[in-house]
Amino acid sequence: MTALDARALASASTTPRGIRRRGRVRWGMWITLVIIALFTFAPIYWLLVTSITPDALVFRFPPTLWPSEITLDHYAEVLGNPAIFGYLRNSVIVSVITAILSVVVSMYMGYAFSKYRFAGRKSLMYFVLSSQMFPQALLLVTLYLVFAQFGLLNTYLALIISFTTFTLPLCVWMLKGFFDALPDDLIEAARIDGAGPWRIFHSVILPLAAPGLVAAGLFAFVRGWNDFIFALTLAGPDKQTLPPGLVNTFISEASTSWPALMAASLLVSVPVCVAFIMLQRFLVGGITAGAVKG
Amino acid sequence: MTSPTAHSTRAPRRGPGAPLSERAFLTFLLAPGVVLLCAVVLYPLIRSLLSAFFDESLLYPGMDFVGLENVLQVLRDDFARLTTQTLIFTIGSTVFPFAIGLALALVLNQRFRGQAYLRGAFLIPWLIPGVVVSFLWMWIFDANYGVLNGILMSLGLADSPVAWLFQTDTARGALILAKTWNSFPWIMVMLLAGLQTVPTELHEAAAMDGAGVVRRFFAVTWPHIRGVAGLVVLLEFIWNFQHFDMIFVLTGGGPAGTTATYATAVYDAAFKGYDLGHAGALGLVWMVLLTILTVVYVWLSERGEKSEKGAAR
Repeated sequence: MTALDARALASASTTPRGIRRRGRVRWGMWITLVIIALFTFAPIYWLLVTSITPDALVFRFPPTLWPSEITLDHYAEVLGNPAIFGYLRNSVIVSVITAILSVVVSMYMGYAFSKYRFAGRKSLMYFVLSSQMFPQALLLVTLYLVFAQFGLLNTYLALIISFTTFTLPLCVWMLKGFFDALPDDLIEAARIDGAGPWRIFHSVILPLAAPGLVAAGLFAFVRGWNDFIFALTLAGPDKQTLPPGLVNTFISEASTSWPALMAASLLVSVPVCVAFIMLQRFLVGGITAGAVKG
Repeated sequence: MTSPTAHSTRAPRRGPGAPLSERAFLTFLLAPGVVLLCAVVLYPLIRSLLSAFFDESLLYPGMDFVGLENVLQVLRDDFARLTTQTLIFTIGSTVFPFAIGLALALVLNQRFRGQAYLRGAFLIPWLIPGVVVSFLWMWIFDANYGVLNGILMSLGLADSPVAWLFQTDTARGALILAKTWNSFPWIMVMLLAGLQTVPTELHEAAAMDGAGVVRRFFAVTWPHIRGVAGLVVLLEFIWNFQHFDMIFVLTGGGPAGTTATYATAVYDAAFKGYDLGHAGALGLVWMVLLTILTVVYVWLSERGEKSEKGAAR
């Protein structure tokens, strides 16, 4: 008898009891999967269906789970609304500049943490990391006062400065990881060739870290795109981004235009999902690897 | 700040200017980030906590020192209520997503066709913006036309529509349900990464010894993922303890203040009551509480690890 046969014979799964047990486990797995899938996808289905159901069918009770008529009117309504376009423009401006600024600031900081040893390095790294743990609702109160003092309320700058800072912990960490992976010999060789630290970083290191820069930028973009509380409080009506903008436009005490709100919600979610699909390669690998090792 | 760099110790310094330029360069690297973090995180944090000791308002300038008056007022009037409610939201929004995330991670860790796409699809609730998640659940819970009431009534499980978000006995549960939907995918991803570190040979060996699924989970799987699981629970706890967006949009802390947490209370105190002293005092109590809970958690998990190692020996 070969070793393989012995293994197969000894394995619990080949005995009748084992097979029955395995069958039960399989069933358990499938049932779990179906229940969680229902919980996950039913709300998404409802988001989609509501956005394409005519008003007459939406505001009827009990609701029709499978609409007899579909319409794209709500999407036309959202895209034709000049106010929404204003919020969209604000969101794009704020998120794009936040992304660029975050990448610039965090690439310098990440490089310093990765390749330099200096007094206070450890404590500074802990400070950067822990800064995302402080309650933002609390920071908001004073930020409001500070921005008011400098006349920055209702400006893009107030939002960009806040969002950039809040993305730093994660962006610095991501980029530090990228720089860590680049060998020190590279720097050494450039130095021997007579390049100064400025040139070494900008013409040798930076091009190699490009994928990391893109990943960090996308992350920062999503952070700016998704924020609600800061955009609501620090930006006035004409500088507000989409999340608070949608609340202003669609939700009122009297009535809420649910189908249009669902259509708008879907449109707001698209850029984030696209960004994630592009990010996936870096994010899931990078973040979870760090977490598992740590 | 001195700058002996990792590489400069090996390379000969060329010229007296070299170390100085390295130091200047290091300062240049760190300065923007440090300035931003100090201006946007450190200063506002200290300033908010300091205003706990002053009578200060958004409506008029100036501040009067009042000592512990604000803090004592918070401890007397808000502490019990807000702490209970914050903990209910935090624990509920950590436990349920963890259970679902773990179950799903275990299922998706098996090999079957289409599993990679399914993993991606399960991430959607976590990907869409928090405000959109709030809108969606607001619509599902809607008292007049909500699909939840519709389904429950057609199944005969309810006689009349329920205003889920506006009743004191259902609002908390509804909020936790929506938050659970939003946060389990992240936990699933993290735990899946942890599950990937479990060697399959160990499972096979345990199965050969006749260990059932449950035994194998606790003897083989759990020890490998407990590190990630602990981190996930800690981070979820900290985030939920400070969560604002969904509570603000879905219930605004209502009805009758039953879903208010420290996060919404600080916001209300500052931007509705204009009372910065009260907001600062709430924030101070909030931070102290969070620090204590985190220290206790870390201490407990370290102790658990030690005793487990002791038992293994």
